Amino acid sequence: MSRLRRILIANRGEIAVRIIRTLRELDLTSIAVFSEPDRVALHVLMADEAYPIGPGPPGESYLNRDRMIETAVRVKADAIHPGYGFFAENADFARACRDAGIEFIGPRPETIATLGDKLAARAAARDAGVPLVPGSDGPVARLDAARDVARQIGFPLMLKAAAGGGGKGMRLVRDASELETAWTLTRGEARAAFGDDQVYIERAIERPRHVEAQIVGDALDQVACLGERECSVQRRHQKLLEETPSDALDPAGRARLAEAACHVARKVRYLGAGTVEFLLDPAGDFYFLEVNTRLQVEHPVTEMVTGLDLVAEQLRVAEGASLSFGETPPEPRGWSMEARIVAEDPLARFMPSAGRIERLRLPEGPGVRNDEGIYRGYDVPVFYDSLLAKLIVWAEDREAARRRLLRALNEYVLEGVHNNLAFQRWLVSHPEFAAAHLSTRFVEEHFEPGSIEPRGEAIEVAVLAAALHAGEERLRVALPESNGGERSAWKWGDRRRRAGRIAR
Amino acid sequence: MRFWVALAGRDAEVEFRREGDALVLEMEGRTLAADFRRLPDGEVYSLLIDGRSHEVRVSPAGSGLEITIHGATLPVEVRHPLERLLQATPQAAGRGAGETIVAPMPGLVVAVRVRPGEKVAAGQPVAIVEAMKMQNELSARQGGVVSEVLVAEGAPVTVGQPLVRLEGSP
Repeated sequence: MSRLRRILIANRGEIAVRIIRTLRELDLTSIAVFSEPDRVALHVLMADEAYPIGPGPPGESYLNRDRMIETAVRVKADAIHPGYGFFAENADFARACRDAGIEFIGPRPETIATLGDKLAARAAARDAGVPLVPGSDGPVARLDAARDVARQIGFPLMLKAAAGGGGKGMRLVRDASELETAWTLTRGEARAAFGDDQVYIERAIERPRHVEAQIVGDALDQVACLGERECSVQRRHQKLLEETPSDALDPAGRARLAEAACHVARKVRYLGAGTVEFLLDPAGDFYFLEVNTRLQVEHPVTEMVTGLDLVAEQLRVAEGASLSFGETPPEPRGWSMEARIVAEDPLARFMPSAGRIERLRLPEGPGVRNDEGIYRGYDVPVFYDSLLAKLIVWAEDREAARRRLLRALNEYVLEGVHNNLAFQRWLVSHPEFAAAHLSTRFVEEHFEPGSIEPRGEAIEVAVLAAALHAGEERLRVALPESNGGERSAWKWGDRRRRAGRIAR
Repeated sequence: MRFWVALAGRDAEVEFRREGDALVLEMEGRTLAADFRRLPDGEVYSLLIDGRSHEVRVSPAGSGLEITIHGATLPVEVRHPLERLLQATPQAAGRGAGETIVAPMPGLVVAVRVRPGEKVAAGQPVAIVEAMKMQNELSARQGGVVSEVLVAEGAPVTVGQPLVRLEGSP
């Protein structure tokens, strides 16, 4: 009989849904919390129980620590799963859970504090003998100090929020002229996102690949690496597509990376699931980047090749049990890729888009997994992350996985909010992607909005459809009264309402 | 029936007629066999054109229509075919007429970078709007002189809301 039976999920969206799925399979009670605009969000509909947590802005709901803990106590939750983002890497929150007698599903608060401070994390990695990217030893207080550091390590460089992570609060600075603007924006974002505007500087590695190792540790101090994930395809440091294994590592390199990740994990007595991120330079050398003390967005690709359920592993170790696989992790099998489906418009510089999901038809078939936080008719609120869903595939090898992902992306119907499906189709069918010639600059180097604009047959079909629709709807097309250059005065005539149409 | 359809920088006259059960389309001198069915979920059509299968969503947007095909959404205008003939040479609009920088999405104004009277170059950032945890820098497309700043820092804005107006440079 497990000790943790009632699990409150301090999160929303696809990750809350994904956690609920595992809780169901383990016959545990899932408790959702929701902000006002999330009253009918998918995670609320799916959970066993659901409780309001405040207004839409995250600070008043999903990031309202006192209200979250108070709710968890009141509804007699045994544990809180933080998902990713929000409280997932907040040591104070983990401590507050412990003080309230509630298990925090994640590493110990001290570990979160150490690794969440990117500078302390660098120190831990250095002590563990893992190579680091050259940079400032501590936070850089002022712009003129930043200029000094920049002179020492040279451009291009990265500005990073000490409290940052997951691609938030970091910026590439190519030369001295960009430093001032980047400095202000990075500090502003850091203050807004993390409440801490300390920034440090690292040399930017040219055309690196982003490769990370999944680690898990249990209360008996056993640590394992469950293979790597390559997340090189990014835009503004936000990952767009992830895969495992990485084509950039040979067996020896893979073993070295796993060993380095385990060294870091042992150094901090890591408990639960986490990720050690590395940059891989074109020569194949890797450098420690940071540790994410949470379940990653891209964890499903690891699940696909190992057959493990990482949320279930998190729950086991939170109860004090050992990892499910004993001392030897399962040998990964095949290849997995994940495409993030976000409400951002690639044709408008990836601007976030909110609105109603007018249509949704998820791809299915062999080797396809969907982790989604949306349904047809659902209104995507403006307050939260733009990630709507993740499309994950598995196949025997990389090329088969790539073709399967492309097939599934072509099958995907998602309308009503601008999204990046067309971008993902472009990416997955790009010859350089197919050849696994990846770097974190892939999008910058290869993508232009023209790449995904519909053309040829699609345009022709759209023209025909518009005309047929006009006929179908008995659209009365009138001539303008004068040729004054204003929009023509055509109007809808006899526009029939049909059942099934979503009211606007 | 005959329509003049303009989208994505392209326009065409489309004529269609029923021949028994069949729908025949004519566009740019070509004749195409079509079948056109509205799906139960509303504004979506299954379109078979010379046997090729397409799924197309047509929805009203402002004073026109929007077509969604293969995940891409395109604004489209359907007009009377005669209008094509009436339309004189396009007016010399745009240049010198000024521009308005609008919020591309709902969010919060975190910074306004310009003041009234200030000269703004094409591509120069004028404001930062935060939405979904991302700060988005908005720039002038053509540039000009700031005639009005319509929002204050910290103000919430809706999609399409004007933020800054520029008068065109002569």
